[in-house]
Amino acid sequence: MAEHLLTTTVTETTTTTPTTTIPPTLELISSAIGDSFVHYLNKLDQIPGGQIILRYIRSSYKNDPVRSLFELALFIFAVHYFLSSKRKENKADIVKFSKLEIDELIKDWEPEPLVEEVNNLEKWQLSAIPKIKGWNKSHMTLYNEASGNNISSNVVNLASYDFLDLNENDNVHKAAKAEISTAGVGACGPPNFYGTQDVHVRLEEDLARFLQTEQSILYGQDFVTAGSVIPAYLKRGDLCIVDSGVNLAIQKALIVSRCNIEWYEHNDVDHLESILEELKPTLDKEPVRRRFIVTEGLFLNTGDICNLPKIVELKNKFKYRLFLDETLSIGVLGANGRGVVEHYNLSRLEISITIGTFAGSFASSGGFCAGVKPMVQHQRINSNAYTFSASLPPYSAIASSQSIKEIMNERTAAGNSKLIAQLHERTSHLYSKLTSIKTTFFKVTSNSNSPIIHISLSHQYRKALGLPAFYGNTHFLNTGKQARSLNEFSKAYNIESFLLQKIIDGVLFESNILITRSKSILDHENLPVISPQLLIMVNSGASLKELDLLAQTLEIIVNKVCKSVSNEARLLSLEDELLKYTKY
Amino acid sequence: MSRFIPNAPPDDRPQQIQDELEYGKLTNKKYLYVSKHAAGEPLPEPIEDEPPYYIYIATYVNYLILIIIGHIRDAFGKVFKPQDYQDLIEQNGYAPWYDGFENFYVRRLKLRIDDCFARPIHGAPGRYIKLFERRALGKGEYEFTGQSMECLNLSSYNYLGFAQSSGVCTDSALDVIDKYGTSACSPRSYVGTTDLHLETEQVIADFVGKEAAIIVSQGYGTNASLFSSLADSKCLVISDELNHASIRFGVRLSGAVVKVFKHNDMDALEFLLRQQISQGQPKTHRPWKKIIIAVEGLYSMEGNMCNLPKLIELKEKYKCYLFVDEAHSIGALGPNGRGICDYFQVSPSKIDLLMGTFTKSFGATGGYIAGSKPIIEKLRLTYITNNYSESVPPPVLAQIISSLRIIEGKLNPGEGKERLERIAFNSRYLRLGLKRLGFIVYGADDSPVIPVLLFFPAKMPVVSRVLYSMKIAVVIVGYPATPLTTSRVRLCVSSALTKEDLDYVLEKFSYVGDLAFLKYSSGIAGGSKVPGQPPRWSIKDVLEVNVEDCKKPQLP
Repeated sequence: MAEHLLTTTVTETTTTTPTTTIPPTLELISSAIGDSFVHYLNKLDQIPGGQIILRYIRSSYKNDPVRSLFELALFIFAVHYFLSSKRKENKADIVKFSKLEIDELIKDWEPEPLVEEVNNLEKWQLSAIPKIKGWNKSHMTLYNEASGNNISSNVVNLASYDFLDLNENDNVHKAAKAEISTAGVGACGPPNFYGTQDVHVRLEEDLARFLQTEQSILYGQDFVTAGSVIPAYLKRGDLCIVDSGVNLAIQKALIVSRCNIEWYEHNDVDHLESILEELKPTLDKEPVRRRFIVTEGLFLNTGDICNLPKIVELKNKFKYRLFLDETLSIGVLGANGRGVVEHYNLSRLEISITIGTFAGSFASSGGFCAGVKPMVQHQRINSNAYTFSASLPPYSAIASSQSIKEIMNERTAAGNSKLIAQLHERTSHLYSKLTSIKTTFFKVTSNSNSPIIHISLSHQYRKALGLPAFYGNTHFLNTGKQARSLNEFSKAYNIESFLLQKIIDGVLFESNILITRSKSILDHENLPVISPQLLIMVNSGASLKELDLLAQTLEIIVNKVCKSVSNEARLLSLEDELLKYTKY
Repeated sequence: MSRFIPNAPPDDRPQQIQDELEYGKLTNKKYLYVSKHAAGEPLPEPIEDEPPYYIYIATYVNYLILIIIGHIRDAFGKVFKPQDYQDLIEQNGYAPWYDGFENFYVRRLKLRIDDCFARPIHGAPGRYIKLFERRALGKGEYEFTGQSMECLNLSSYNYLGFAQSSGVCTDSALDVIDKYGTSACSPRSYVGTTDLHLETEQVIADFVGKEAAIIVSQGYGTNASLFSSLADSKCLVISDELNHASIRFGVRLSGAVVKVFKHNDMDALEFLLRQQISQGQPKTHRPWKKIIIAVEGLYSMEGNMCNLPKLIELKEKYKCYLFVDEAHSIGALGPNGRGICDYFQVSPSKIDLLMGTFTKSFGATGGYIAGSKPIIEKLRLTYITNNYSESVPPPVLAQIISSLRIIEGKLNPGEGKERLERIAFNSRYLRLGLKRLGFIVYGADDSPVIPVLLFFPAKMPVVSRVLYSMKIAVVIVGYPATPLTTSRVRLCVSSALTKEDLDYVLEKFSYVGDLAFLKYSSGIAGGSKVPGQPPRWSIKDVLEVNVEDCKKPQLP
């Protein structure tokens, strides 16, 4: 019966179409097509469920033939869409070549080398890396890699992040050794697949208690922490307001996250406030997205401490969350080493996300993130570096736990950590010594509480040498945009670094104290890079007398070196010297 | 019962027994094999067996049911238990940490089988792994009984069995703590370089057959920071679709243009290369500055090896650079354990950059990049981790050096060779056994990673829990780490396991396979008793001939 109905309707269409305009042959063809179409349509009848489709076509056609056609077109489009490849190139953009032409093009193509070779001007940087024989502790031995001879022993180490000298602590060693004797060295698995040991869980608890927050999570390396945590919460369309002096790890993390970024002047809370004010009207109109203020506690690049009380006030007023990188401030600032939050006597609950490292003052390895429970739990599945990498070695976890205990163990009369107090005493002692030096050549630029003391060449001296104010991506200052490609090699940066290296070597020679300088990789820095700086990392293992000696020698050496390099021509002539440099 | 993780229960068994639990003694000299690919022969195409169609349909239905029930629970939950959904709604002007859609998979699917993941352990994850007994309280909360259970370990990356708490490596690590401390305390280019670091770099460079190497404190970080120093937006990175997340992250960070080719499909790669070199950069059509092909030696979820001979041929023909991630293959493959080059008898000099980790085969942690001297010297200046990230801690270095020396035969001669031949034998033995029992197994014959396909997401917890009750610890992997339909159990074989352990595993797998209806294979991937028929051997038949059969050049 169905067959009958359909045939009649189809023949109707073929006859009712304006036959006058179609020649009889075409009419024949079209009716043949129509017939076979009907034939196949009728086959549908035999497939289970086909009747339903048939009935649908019939009823819809009766009412409105245009609709049937439209539906057919839609159906074809859908099939075409699903069958066509998902990642389609812009066809117009592809040039058509024959096989021969492609072969020709391949033959002509001359790729660049995988990496450029080290050029002669930067070769000295490799031999300027100090090589330690044996223990990296407060007093150590340096040697020359090529000859194998010792350069100097019992060198005072003011270049390491082990501020509290816990790498020499017997209790930390004992704990680590006990753990290696029961669990071996590696964890042999990612945390979610049998890589979580009792010591990991315990360190997470210890750290959360130490930082006075809800929970914490461990990472295998400090640098990847920011790059993994930030993209877990900031996605396209989210917003963050970032200090323009942040370290490279955060810069890279922000690029990967693809969120919207606004930069405020380094440590300028007024500028931050004006940006927040400016954004408020537009943000109020939109649905609420995730919004963060991103800053470092103690800045790696400058040694400044962020103005946390004001930032906390602003973030509460404008309802932003705060991401704080405590990599350098943890175990250093605050009466008990709880970081910049304790330094300002604030509550850790004000900080939404805290990240940091165990490889610094805790004398262990790995990184961490701490905060409220839902935030931390989200990372256990959604953070790349946590789910896709092996856990921290168990002995590292227990060493960190032990270091936290050591910090809290001995107390001063006021009930605070004695270890931290010692560090603070040394920091302020050296800081006051260094700032009291009268010189036109250099300036102490870091915060008085920072155990990493930054010394940069003074503005007028650098001007005399013809050195630029900033290196790297200077156009950031005009456009506010991060760099898109790598920065070029900078001769001036290289030679200014070498000038500082001369001072470092001089100090080492005169006083047997090793200090260091900032070593930014210009290629990768997306933000403008400030002038290279001398860095003195205060260490609890160094005596006050040794620090005094450093201050004295530094003054003499800086004067000597800077006087000998008094103008641009002299600076450029250093190039001959750096070509021959083979120190370590 | 406590919500906090208990202390490890005391263990007063004699040291000898404890050692045996971490690394089983070889029970018979017959249970050894040398893994090697005959030079010049093409790589046999791994055949991926397909289950009957209804399995796929049922798998989708399985997901559908889970998702529908998840949404129903959400709908009711939001009305009746709003306190459970606090984290998903805007509060007090703050957006939620994550949106409900993003979190749906975790909340409604993963949480159901949460007890199969992140089981806390104590002690060295060697032949046996000690899992704390815990009881699920729901919502990802647990309470611990204070006891722990020893399970056969088929889950840890412990290919050569170096996860031990006694022996040469451990002694050397303990010794180094006395001489070097626990931490490196500084990035490499500041004061994080000791003689031990330089020694390790030379040892690993010699081991893989390259001029120089650079070591990093974490395997993930090695890749994640590398590509920024190699490529920029005018360079092209061609990446296998199944490359590890760290490579993908690293490439994304570098800003280079990425093109992906179908897993291990060399024709697709060649087509892509021809197209890209001739077309050049998008829009401008300028030639690419350079093209880097990034592949893995052994794919950790599939157990497949890359087709190295063909890759080298293509790389040379099209003037590209080849980066091989040997995270899983170094130590585990090749007659000398030197990874994928050793296995294929190819000179390592033909590969531009060899990357690998110390986590999997050497019982340590961290990663390395090995290459020619000029490349590594330049990387020392421009590699991000060198200047901005912690250096490798000394005890880890000691573990790396001593385990590499053992493998090379310089320490405890004979031990390294035995470890290598045991993993080769164990991998083949277990793989052939599983195939014959009727499981669908992916990967190359010699691969120590053996994924057993389950398809149904609901079968993941069944297998994990039943095997756990039989004292076997396995890893289950499902979406999003694998394609939606191919949930699997991933077995990582180790030298520490004895042949008898594997017999036990096969026996229990056979039981679980019957219980959960997992024997789907059609026989096209081998293992059939009668050619053309699906393999469904009885466990008795399998064990009878498995030792001889698994040593045949190609698994029957």
